[in-house]
Amino acid sequence: MNDGTLAAAKTVQPQPAAESRNVLGWVLHNVVWIWLIALVAIFGFFNEFFLTIFNMQNITVQATVLGMLGLAVALPLLVAEIDLSIPANAGFSAAIGALAYSDLGLPWLVAMLLGIAVATAIGFFNGLCITKLKMVSLIETLSMMIILQGALLALTQGKTLTNLSDGYIWIGQATFAGGWPVMPLVFVLALIAMSILLRFTTLGRSIYAVGGNAVASKSAGIRVDRIKVLTYTISGFLAGLAGFLLASWQMAITSNQGSSYLLYAIAAPIIGGVSVFGGRGNVLGVLGGVLLLTVIQVGLAIISVPSFYVGMIGGCMIFIAVAIDAIRVRYFG
Amino acid sequence: MLHQHQPMPEGDHILKVEDVSKRYGPVIALRGVSIAVKRGSIHGLLGENGAGKSTLVGIISGQFPPSGGRIVLNGTPLAHADVRAMEEAGVFLVTQESMIIDHMSAAENLMLGIWPNRRGFVNWRRLTADAARMLEGSGIDPKARAGKLDAVARRKLNILRAMFSGGKVIILDEPTAALTVADRRVLFDFMRRLKADGVTFIFISHYNDEILDVCDAVSVLRDGLLAGGSDDIGAMTSEQLSELVLGRGLALFQRERQSHEGKAPLVSFRGVVAKHVDLAALDIAPGEIVGFTGLPGAGAKEFARTIFGLNVAEAGTIAIGGAEPVPLPRAPRDAFDTGIAYLSDDRRREGSVGQMSIGDNIAMSSLPARSRAGFIDKAAESQVVDRYFQAMGIKAPTPQAAVDTLSGGNQQKVCLGRVLATEPRLLIVDEPTRGIDIGVKQDVLRIIDRLSRTGVAVIMVSTDTDELVRATDRICIFEHGAIRETLTGADISTERLRRTAQA
Repeated sequence: MNDGTLAAAKTVQPQPAAESRNVLGWVLHNVVWIWLIALVAIFGFFNEFFLTIFNMQNITVQATVLGMLGLAVALPLLVAEIDLSIPANAGFSAAIGALAYSDLGLPWLVAMLLGIAVATAIGFFNGLCITKLKMVSLIETLSMMIILQGALLALTQGKTLTNLSDGYIWIGQATFAGGWPVMPLVFVLALIAMSILLRFTTLGRSIYAVGGNAVASKSAGIRVDRIKVLTYTISGFLAGLAGFLLASWQMAITSNQGSSYLLYAIAAPIIGGVSVFGGRGNVLGVLGGVLLLTVIQVGLAIISVPSFYVGMIGGCMIFIAVAIDAIRVRYFG
Repeated sequence: MLHQHQPMPEGDHILKVEDVSKRYGPVIALRGVSIAVKRGSIHGLLGENGAGKSTLVGIISGQFPPSGGRIVLNGTPLAHADVRAMEEAGVFLVTQESMIIDHMSAAENLMLGIWPNRRGFVNWRRLTADAARMLEGSGIDPKARAGKLDAVARRKLNILRAMFSGGKVIILDEPTAALTVADRRVLFDFMRRLKADGVTFIFISHYNDEILDVCDAVSVLRDGLLAGGSDDIGAMTSEQLSELVLGRGLALFQRERQSHEGKAPLVSFRGVVAKHVDLAALDIAPGEIVGFTGLPGAGAKEFARTIFGLNVAEAGTIAIGGAEPVPLPRAPRDAFDTGIAYLSDDRRREGSVGQMSIGDNIAMSSLPARSRAGFIDKAAESQVVDRYFQAMGIKAPTPQAAVDTLSGGNQQKVCLGRVLATEPRLLIVDEPTRGIDIGVKQDVLRIIDRLSRTGVAVIMVSTDTDELVRATDRICIFEHGAIRETLTGADISTERLRRTAQA
């Protein structure tokens, strides 16, 4: 859909040397994917283990939690808001689920669903605060993040929760057909569901409209507040799901579970072309951003870059991706 | 009539535009335009939207270079001058979107970016003293917060700012937009005073009477060409100006006015109370076009927004098509569901989502009606999009083009298509032709006229007397939130409206 708009805009205002601009525009437009392929090739060149099936399986697993969080972050961005509390929500809600099983004795499935319900409710609450109280989303969710991180520390008393049921950790460990992990399937399903939501439903269309111009959306008959609350609620649900998957995969919940994902979860959708000003971005872009970040992380570990340099080099790679994207927006819309 | 290409004595002119052209790819925006502006005069620049005014002004102010020709300032040709260079040379552009920072004082705004300072520390005492001197006689309190200033004071502030920064030639791009008649007079007096101090103005306007009132000379652009002009405004008449602006042969729309007296009303409002609104009763017949007018804050616009649910109604009912009266809609969604549609006057902010496609925008308000269980019925959607894309005559290659890429008039047609796609029984249009050129204006009025013939009731909120006279059956003049006077039939005339507006 995005490409169609771009092409149409080009026909309206023909540019000199349109041919070479179009090629460059196409390259910049797909820079995430080109950069991704380039990095896979580079890492594969330095260490051929990177290109093995085993490592690919590893990357898909690693990408799953980040991907779920990235999708959760993308939704508020699309309505021109932000939610910083998502990774903290994932950690906190997973702990609720785990404790409901271990301390309250609920069946693991019920406990897990309870955790996700709590995450969804937190998202709903954030949405209410932002729309009805008109709190600024950046600060509201920042404080919510601190509250949830603190609450997780209080719940766990600084200890790591490891008393998880076999059922609970199944999805994080199970494999099929020659060692392919099951967990990424959840991410694939979430990607499909989210693209259907954004492309084919009135809610999806309304999300783009509200992010593009909230005032115009209101006068066009869209219930802006309701759309924002729904967006935050779905986002909370995805955060809960991500929290469950992370705990299931690691078979443990630490006292700061999820926190390390914060910046990556925000970076992934933005690298993938989701605009921080709202109304622009799609699911495929989020996937690209998530895979790019995961490949950088895994790749740097595999070519045995000394750990002191990993953060810096990874940061530079993200910087380049974002800079190229900014150049694209600047010159090619 | 004196044409510009006659030889002029040198030195008399502060600014000369010599044979300036501008092309954007295959599109030619300006073709060999030459204009000479006398020192210490107010030079009018007239033309439709798209005639090339903005392009010309952009070139003069250095925003982009001309494709051909040159700008001569004080006898010196300026090559490749950018905005900064032009400003240093004394040419300033003051746009409609005034660059005023609301939470700063008038004095601070005046000194923005040129703060008197000592090694980086702002010298507040000098700033205040200088600003106070500049603002003397302008009626603006230097300490007043800019956000609290009225529209005319803001225009003055911008002009003063340009002067204070060393402006010798100040270009005013439609400075009277959104000003009342009285404010315009104040602004014109202010301009005349500055002119006496030696400032030269280039004054852009849509309105003949303004040009005739305040300008000394005028140049008219049409389709990128200099259609004509005069160095002596006294020799021009409004008719001559219109002819230059439009060219010959443009048919202005005129509705066949109908009387709706005695008909059963389609829409009835009772006891509508809201901020700036206190209206006891109003009935509108099917197929009737009612014009609403009045000064800002008199209630015409406020009433329209209240019945659409954009402003909060404290009380009031609506009855449509003989049904029981129900409370007024609380939100635009409820209004659409009741059969009321509203076209906003603020196209950019409230009319459309610019980054989305024409099609998405057209479908936006009627989407719930064309979806099942939350899923969009794509076939029904593309049907309605195609229908209104064609019916509105939107000039774009496909409905997939982003609304941002369209001209103002075409954007307005997209907005109109969006509200009509909801198939309303009452259509409210708020300043439906503001800021769009006169050709598209006729299209828009024609579309509304055609719609009324299908039995839809229409409310047209407007401050454009000409438009009200041409396109309505009845005109309600608002004051203090209620209808002060209603004009029908033969009483509807421009003179009558002008007279009542000033009373």
